[in-house]
Amino acid sequence: MGRVIVVTSGKGGVGKTTSTANLGTALALLDKTVAVVDADVGLRNLDIVMGLESRIVYTSMDVIEKQCELSKALVRDRRVDGLMLLAASQKNNKDDIQPEQMKAICDKLRTTHDFVLVDSPAGIERGFSNASAGADEAIVITTPDVSAIRDADRIIGLLQNARIEPINLVINRFSPQLVGNGSMMDQDDVLDILNIELIGVVPEDSGVINSTNRGIPLVYEDGSPGAQAYMRIARRLTGQRIPIHNFEQKGLLNNIVNWFTRKK
Amino acid sequence: MNLSIRQLFGRKPKSSSIAKQRLKLVITQDRFDVDDRVMTRLHHELAEVLAKYFEFSANSVKMDLKQEGNSYILVADFPYTKFHETNMRQ
Ligand SMILES: Nc1ncnc2c1ncn2[C@@H]1O[C@H](COP(=O)(O)OP(=O)(O)OP(=O)(O)O)[C@@H](O)[C@H]1O
Ligand SMILES: [Mg+2]
Repeated sequence: MGRVIVVTSGKGGVGKTTSTANLGTALALLDKTVAVVDADVGLRNLDIVMGLESRIVYTSMDVIEKQCELSKALVRDRRVDGLMLLAASQKNNKDDIQPEQMKAICDKLRTTHDFVLVDSPAGIERGFSNASAGADEAIVITTPDVSAIRDADRIIGLLQNARIEPINLVINRFSPQLVGNGSMMDQDDVLDILNIELIGVVPEDSGVINSTNRGIPLVYEDGSPGAQAYMRIARRLTGQRIPIHNFEQKGLLNNIVNWFTRKK
Repeated sequence: MNLSIRQLFGRKPKSSSIAKQRLKLVITQDRFDVDDRVMTRLHHELAEVLAKYFEFSANSVKMDLKQEGNSYILVADFPYTKFHETNMRQ
């Protein structure tokens, strides 16, 4: 039985869709079978970020309305084995789908895939309850700024109430330079506030916008810091133990201090 | 560590540490507000059930969540004036 993982955040625009596309692709590159599900009904994006927009015929709405079989609505990504996308309807809205209907789709997908990743809309409304209805686990995406972190805390509370666990945190758009000069919180600060398990840190990477422009997830072209970060997270999801990468660039003074105060 | 050395050199606190401090405060408040709403609901629901068995005045009821170590203890005082007779016979 596969694992259903909802990719969510409190604040919008922090990188849920980017992360779902890259983690889904990365897991498939690691020989897992993966279904990525766009749960952002009415504002679908996962198809275009993954470069599959021209091949969408059916959506989860058609499956729910029994217009077509689930297997027929899945679009196979031809660039890698074992990766499928279930698109969201663009002409409907979030109230047209019931949480139980999303759960039924997820439960069916998990019988045929190792991982089912659900790209959630932002917020704590209906879209969130739909996206998380079928999930066992969650990945919460946040950027290291006050609004995103505050809203992440709210979402984490809702996920805990729904008994979804583990809840893993991804810190996205991390900037070592900004942390270095003291204008961005580092990962320890964020973890100290949110108090959940960190599964990865994704740096700010201009490759993300280029990859989105072309519809080719970053991880296909390994090498950029963002791609490497997503590959590491995917490996951690499969159970590999990989230490959290340290992006921080410390100044000379800090380096000297760290050298003297380091533990063993 | 980082901060204390910077303070030693008399610089202004970095905006990231201000952010962290403010966040910690506001999130504590957020979490409390959510708990508060849940408590109010629980209060109503408990009162509804207990009213079937006891007579009490709504404003004498006290409910409190106490933290002890890692666990929470819910303490509820519902001082009642009398049992409902009908329930006692059942
Ligand atoms: N690590 C990164 N480096 C640079 N840009 C990024 C990074 N992650 C995301 N972005 C950019 O941030 C924007 C928002 O990303 P994305 O659409 O994935 O967010 P989202 O959380 O799905 O948004 P929404 O809440 O609207 O669904 C996009 O323009 C994307 O290219
Ligand atoms: Mg999105």
